[in-house]
Amino acid sequence: MTATLAPTLIRQDGRDKVTGSGRYAADLTVTGMLHGAFRVAEVPHARIRRLDTTAARALPGVYAIITAADVPEVRYGAFLKDRTIFARDVVRWEGELIAAVAAATPEIAAQAAALIEVDLEPLLAVTDLETATRPDAPLVHAEWATYEADENLVRDGNLASRSTIVKGDADGGMADAYIVVKDRYVADGSHAVPIEPRAILAEWQGDHVTIWSSTQVPFAARSGVAETLGMPQNQVRVIVPHLGGGFGAKCELGFEPQVAALAQTAGRPVKVVFSRREEFLLPDHRRERMILELETGVRRDGTIVARRAHLIIDNGAYSMDEPFLGQMAAMFAVGPYRIPNVDVSADVVYTNTQPSGSVRAPTGPTTCWALEQHHDVVAERLGLDPVEFRRRNLVHEGDTGPTGQVFERIGALETLEHAAAAIGWGRPLPDGEAIGIATGWWPSFPGASGANVTINADGSGTIVTGAQECGTGAVMALPILAAEVLGMRPDEFRILYQDTDAGPYDGGASGSQTTFNNGRAVIAAATEVREQLLDLAADLLEANRADLELIDGMARVKGSQTSSVSIADLASQAAGAGLLLGRGSGEPPPTPAVETANCVGRLGAESFAAPTFFTHAAHVKVDRDTGVVRVLEIAASHESGVVINPIGATGQIYGGVAMGIGQALSEGVLLSEDGRQRNPYLLDYKLQTVADVPPIHVDFVDAPSPTGGPKGLKGIAEPPCVPTPGAIANAIVRAAGSRVRELPMTPERVWRALASTNGEN
Amino acid sequence: MGGRFTSPTALADALAATAAGHRPVAGGTDLVVGTRQGKWSLPEDLVALDRIEELRGIEETSGGLRIGATTSHADLAGHPAIRKRWTAIADAASIVGSPATRHIGTLGGNLANASPAAETSGPLLCFDAQVEVRSTAGSRRIALADLFNGPGRTTVRSDELIVAVELSELAGVGSSYVRLEFRRQMEIAVVGATAVVSLDGAIVIDARIAITALAPTVRRVAVAEFALVGTDGGPDAAAEAGRLAAEAATPISDVRASLEYRRAMAAVVVRRAVTGAIARARGETIPIPASASLFGAR
Ligand SMILES: Cc1cc2nc3c(=O)[nH]c(=O)nc-3n(C[C@H](O)[C@H](O)[C@H](O)COP(=O)(O)OP(=O)(O)OC[C@H]3O[C@@H](n4cnc5c(N)ncnc54)[C@H](O)[C@@H]3O)c2cc1C
Repeated sequence: MTATLAPTLIRQDGRDKVTGSGRYAADLTVTGMLHGAFRVAEVPHARIRRLDTTAARALPGVYAIITAADVPEVRYGAFLKDRTIFARDVVRWEGELIAAVAAATPEIAAQAAALIEVDLEPLLAVTDLETATRPDAPLVHAEWATYEADENLVRDGNLASRSTIVKGDADGGMADAYIVVKDRYVADGSHAVPIEPRAILAEWQGDHVTIWSSTQVPFAARSGVAETLGMPQNQVRVIVPHLGGGFGAKCELGFEPQVAALAQTAGRPVKVVFSRREEFLLPDHRRERMILELETGVRRDGTIVARRAHLIIDNGAYSMDEPFLGQMAAMFAVGPYRIPNVDVSADVVYTNTQPSGSVRAPTGPTTCWALEQHHDVVAERLGLDPVEFRRRNLVHEGDTGPTGQVFERIGALETLEHAAAAIGWGRPLPDGEAIGIATGWWPSFPGASGANVTINADGSGTIVTGAQECGTGAVMALPILAAEVLGMRPDEFRILYQDTDAGPYDGGASGSQTTFNNGRAVIAAATEVREQLLDLAADLLEANRADLELIDGMARVKGSQTSSVSIADLASQAAGAGLLLGRGSGEPPPTPAVETANCVGRLGAESFAAPTFFTHAAHVKVDRDTGVVRVLEIAASHESGVVINPIGATGQIYGGVAMGIGQALSEGVLLSEDGRQRNPYLLDYKLQTVADVPPIHVDFVDAPSPTGGPKGLKGIAEPPCVPTPGAIANAIVRAAGSRVRELPMTPERVWRALASTNGEN
Repeated sequence: MGGRFTSPTALADALAATAAGHRPVAGGTDLVVGTRQGKWSLPEDLVALDRIEELRGIEETSGGLRIGATTSHADLAGHPAIRKRWTAIADAASIVGSPATRHIGTLGGNLANASPAAETSGPLLCFDAQVEVRSTAGSRRIALADLFNGPGRTTVRSDELIVAVELSELAGVGSSYVRLEFRRQMEIAVVGATAVVSLDGAIVIDARIAITALAPTVRRVAVAEFALVGTDGGPDAAAEAGRLAAEAATPISDVRASLEYRRAMAAVVVRRAVTGAIARARGETIPIPASASLFGAR
């Protein structure tokens, strides 16, 4: 951890959140505010025959009701414009919005929503992933061919997106292999479950609207409102009060346009606050259901010669970022391994279920869970130790990735060795206990991002950033970077953030990108201020600019104890003349070059910019009579380039591991035959509790990336979710003798796997 | 709208309120949470029991214990006499929900709510608990076995309050309550089992076995009890009791588990509860809660 700048950073937002003085969107009230409620489809697929709001409007206390008829007909979506803000003619999943009501109280709004008469003609629902693309399957979108879409998207009927990775000659590789292993895994969808159910408050003044929203991506919310309501972006201001977590579910456009349109119609501000049940049912971001078929050919010495894989991924009824995520999943099905011959395809298919979308490391944990179990099966067939199998196949510096990208300095192998050592790989364990291991990779996402840094007249600093704090502490850590450039302390800065009218653009709290991109912007902005300070100091100290340094809150001649001036003094001088203002964005680092001649569905994930590598080892105990699995210990080793804020990075690993244990063992969406959620509440959608989180040994491998973020760092928030389920799965089979090929690996599924007579692994 | 909420300190005032149709609320962890879940709507008029001193606390009587209705699960789980002599109750109370639930949820509420999954019912049933209920007309005692009418239904009248639960001493018994737990806190019983045994030397001379969440109400399983008496209570005998109890159970399939899994787990938890009770009767230490101590026990 050579680049550690802040061994213990006190978060600026910490006290507010812990003491309750901080405000979240649901806490806000503005003068004249009404309360909103949504009417949703509640059936998975139907034609709207009649929609009558008369009775609902007649209810005293109702101010406005809007439906698709009251808003512009705009289809939107990042890669595939297939959805509208309210259902038009057809509803395609149970949570689809039909109408919104504004009323004097939340109770009246809910009552009025229920009074809206909706006559629905049921249509056959598509729920099964394997049959969804058969010619006889009903179409989720009959008019799919008319939708605007990314030109690289490969689609056909219920196939929303196909991505392939083809390299070398997979057939030839398989033919030459000593053995070929093939198996299949099935994963349920799961939820992000932020502790804060979302809230949105919209208030119009004249032609412009202010929206307070619990979104992870205020700029995407702003452009989405502008696009769907047909107004310029500068008339939409999105402010995010404190955000109570998001984990991906609050990415992309949320419910901002509907609430804004409702407030406009009502002529009054309107606030919508979701219940926990709504937070399960209405968002269009849940972790994708998947079916994974994997096939690997290996030589006798354990080196992999060929990989074939076919993934089927649930898009749900509408396309958020899932069409893109298919390509990510295809990359994960290859994994951070040297494989000369590859033939992988990922089909993202429409169903009449809740739309899938990014949830912390989308497609990563599921694909890693399947692939790393598959790798253990291969190792077992070869009689090789799982760690040794990975040691022989992991990528090194100079190797090429699935699409030919050449790896720079990386530490994949070190993470394997460190995690194995930390957990005590190979040590004897009591009956019913075992250790499993899994390795994975994850990209960084270079992108545009901006920040401004100013030094106030008293020498204190202000950072104004477009970046969004979703709880990870990434924005809270930005002062570390500004402080280093300016020779100040992090606590001398205040941060103004998450207001689209205040800060410059940023991609939001998504893709683990905040420090990577906004860190770069803050450094660039601080560097401008640094230049201004040095100019002033050179004048004042009558020194050569090149001889000056900024250190300990002063500008001084290097090495001199006497020839110096405090930054506060410089700032007070500047206050009377040229102000100390810096603005920054910086150039995003390039993404690696690839050869994708034989690949289709190029949507931007075909090369992994500054990829991070990681290995987790899990020590578990399996109760063989009940199938209940307890995780006793996790060792997590991550190569994230470098770590600049260890307390924050370690916190991300703790949280990611906890979330990964949930996905591994207990978190799964149970669907009815027709695609409705059967457990949209916390009693039966089981999160892990703090009591279930075991000791976690955290290790960081240093390998600054030449094309990484500041100092060579890489993203860190999503990766710790990725290898956790796979490590646990591999531990379960070593502890109990049976492999569980369904996710989550619930007690009943583990029990069935143990009970099945052909408990081969 | 405009319901009444009173929070009296005298039991007589609370009884007057229930006589007038007000619904009692103790910790509110069933009543209020169920309202939020949409199970029922919040009663118009409520009378809070939490300020009534005489309803709370555990008193050692000549023959046993008298536990006030608003005694919290945390107090039950922490009480030395309960931990030593009515250990299954401590096993049960110490795994209700989370620390927060245990500090606010009460014994009276757990019983009056009459969930087939309620944690304390099985142990109380096996310990022959008597429930004292009172109204403005006077008080009566209901044997725990006669308290439950079905899921969510009891024989307590709407004008009555549960004021206390009485336990008499059972000499020399060992007991335990075991619940299947998917995670370490905040569980709900998918299946649970209580065993209370007495030994004469190495031989079981009395056995009580109850199953939780495996029938419309918590119930004892006579066949399993019979089978255990006269044995050494060893692994085979415990397994046989489990097998018989599982056969007698009438589990359901739902989002939490299939019928098949529940039945198989009934055998496991009964076996473990018996194992725990026997061990304790022998003076061995099985730390409370037994569910966690016996995790993975074969
Ligand atoms: C997060 C969570 C976890 C939980 N986990 C468990 C668990 O693991 N095991 C378990 O068994 N339960 C569990 N519960 C349910 C609940 O906490 C318990 O049943 C608790 O004992 C209820 O007590 P209370 O005082 O909160 O009841 P209340 O909600 O106040 O009352 C429940 C019912 O009893 C009536 N009532 C209350 N007191 C009396 C009285 N003295 N006389 C007559 N009627 C009365 C009320 O009118 C109401 O109908 C959980 C609840 C929550 C919210």
